[in-house]
Amino acid sequence: MSEALLELEDVVSGYDELQVLWGVSVAVMPKRLTTLVGANGAGKTTLLRAALGSIRVWSGRVRFEGEDVTRLSAYQKAARGLVLVPEGRQLFNDMTVEENLELGAYTARARPDYAANLERVFTYFPRLKERRKQKAGTFSGGEQQMLAVARGLMASPKVLIIDELSLGLSPLLTQQLFGTLADLKNDGLTLVLVEQNLHLALALSDYAYVLAEGRLHSEGPSREVANDPDVRKAYMGM
Amino acid sequence: MIFDLTASVINGVLVGAIYGLAAIGLTLIFGVMNVINLMHGATIALGMFSLYLLTTAVGLNPYLAIVPVLLGGFVFGVLVYWIAVHRVIGSSDLMTLLATFAVNMIIIGVGTAVWTTSPYNVDVSVPQLAISMHGYTIPGTQIVAAVLAVILATLLYGLLYHTRLGKAIRAVANNRAAAELMGINTRWVLAISFGIGIAVAAGAGVLIATLFPFTILSGANYELKSFVVVVLGGLGDPAGAMLGGIVLGLIEGVTAPFVNVSWTPVIEFTLFVIILVLFPAGLLAFKWGRK
Ligand SMILES: Nc1ncnc2c1ncn2[C@@H]1O[C@H](COP(=O)(O)OP(=O)(O)OP(=O)(O)O)[C@@H](O)[C@H]1O
Ligand SMILES: [Mg+2]
Repeated sequence: MSEALLELEDVVSGYDELQVLWGVSVAVMPKRLTTLVGANGAGKTTLLRAALGSIRVWSGRVRFEGEDVTRLSAYQKAARGLVLVPEGRQLFNDMTVEENLELGAYTARARPDYAANLERVFTYFPRLKERRKQKAGTFSGGEQQMLAVARGLMASPKVLIIDELSLGLSPLLTQQLFGTLADLKNDGLTLVLVEQNLHLALALSDYAYVLAEGRLHSEGPSREVANDPDVRKAYMGM
Repeated sequence: MIFDLTASVINGVLVGAIYGLAAIGLTLIFGVMNVINLMHGATIALGMFSLYLLTTAVGLNPYLAIVPVLLGGFVFGVLVYWIAVHRVIGSSDLMTLLATFAVNMIIIGVGTAVWTTSPYNVDVSVPQLAISMHGYTIPGTQIVAAVLAVILATLLYGLLYHTRLGKAIRAVANNRAAAELMGINTRWVLAISFGIGIAVAAGAGVLIATLFPFTILSGANYELKSFVVVVLGGLGDPAGAMLGGIVLGLIEGVTAPFVNVSWTPVIEFTLFVIILVLFPAGLLAFKWGRK
């Protein structure tokens, strides 16, 4: 197995006095799709926030491309190509679609690719091209999710992390977005997914981590995790 | 009588453009970082006294003095941000109010020690541009000051909507956490925005000082007007602030021939309350940079 691109080692973190993560280790392999599974409140979003630098890592380490980036701010990590499509979309609602995409390409490493990335994103989501002068806040939930993913792609990510891709989306649109992810993966993009829709996520992903109450419950190749009776019972309704 | 009113209306619009510019400084800071800047008035007064110093001690042309005042205001604003504001950003609103109020008191205190509270004025006249009508004259200085206010506001608008920095500022105003994820150093954007807000207030102070005599305490009056204007235009909306300023100037101008000036604040604040109650999002009711 090759070296991990993004590595979390024994990460402990939380909010003020509330400890949420109790030592979580995750390795994200290049060009692979890694899935993070867990019940509501298990700490998936918190883990991503800690990895990205939105909240402080209390102890443990975050390594990106072999370098210790634990103490870097979120904007510095973004500048290195560690890109998060956050839970709840977090678009710039009062700004246009085009401005949202421009901001996605804010970093020095993404700027030279702006035109190429824009074209790619418009190919995946033609809807955004039609609506590029519209304010993001006036979009429907599904359109906002497309824009959130598109904005992430504009950053020329080395790792694209998506928190709750399918939340609130129609099955059709979910299918379509997963199709897009499959294309991106085939193009060699490293992906991390937090996903409620385990059927789709595990079908596409290579490796999965199961988080429960701030600790790793289990991990393994996605096929094995998908067949784990615990996981099937708890998250797949089987 | 009719011509009196025309003159008052023109007068009001011209002064209103400067109120608008001053209010933009206040509303920009509020829009970006949710801080109600209580050193706004003191900053306007600093702008006035900077004009006094630059014209008397340095002998600069009063209109050219705007350039160093804007630059100095920016640097001063960034410094104040790092020293007094950054630490309390994101804590309770009371903390940011107190922080900016403390800086306000320091400026007023030092200013009073240096210049006392007696009135100063800067001699400016541009007679070539004056407009006379039926025994009433609109001074050229008012026309120049209003034009400069509109130019500065337009430049700021261009900065916010058509530059990379401006887009970063608006992104931070919209959603700071998301802006950080885009690779934007949001602490610097906050500092720069505060610097711009202070620079604009100081610039407005210069323009006001080309028209009227002033003391170190004069800023308070304009700070209050800025609050009225900002509420008129919708909190956090610079274009609305310019329009709100013109509306306020117009109201002052139109009422001036009929009531004693001491009634002006009464009228303004009655208006303030009415607008707050009836149009809480501002007269234009479109929002800029708010979550
Ligand atoms: N901003 C916050 N401040 C305080 N506590 C928080 C905050 N965000 C999350 N928490 C708490 O941290 C715990 C883990 O939340 P987290 O959002 O990481 O869960 P999750 O696995 O992403 O859940 P979901 O599937 O519902 O998104 C929860 O108990 C939650 O109440
Ligand atoms: Mg979550």
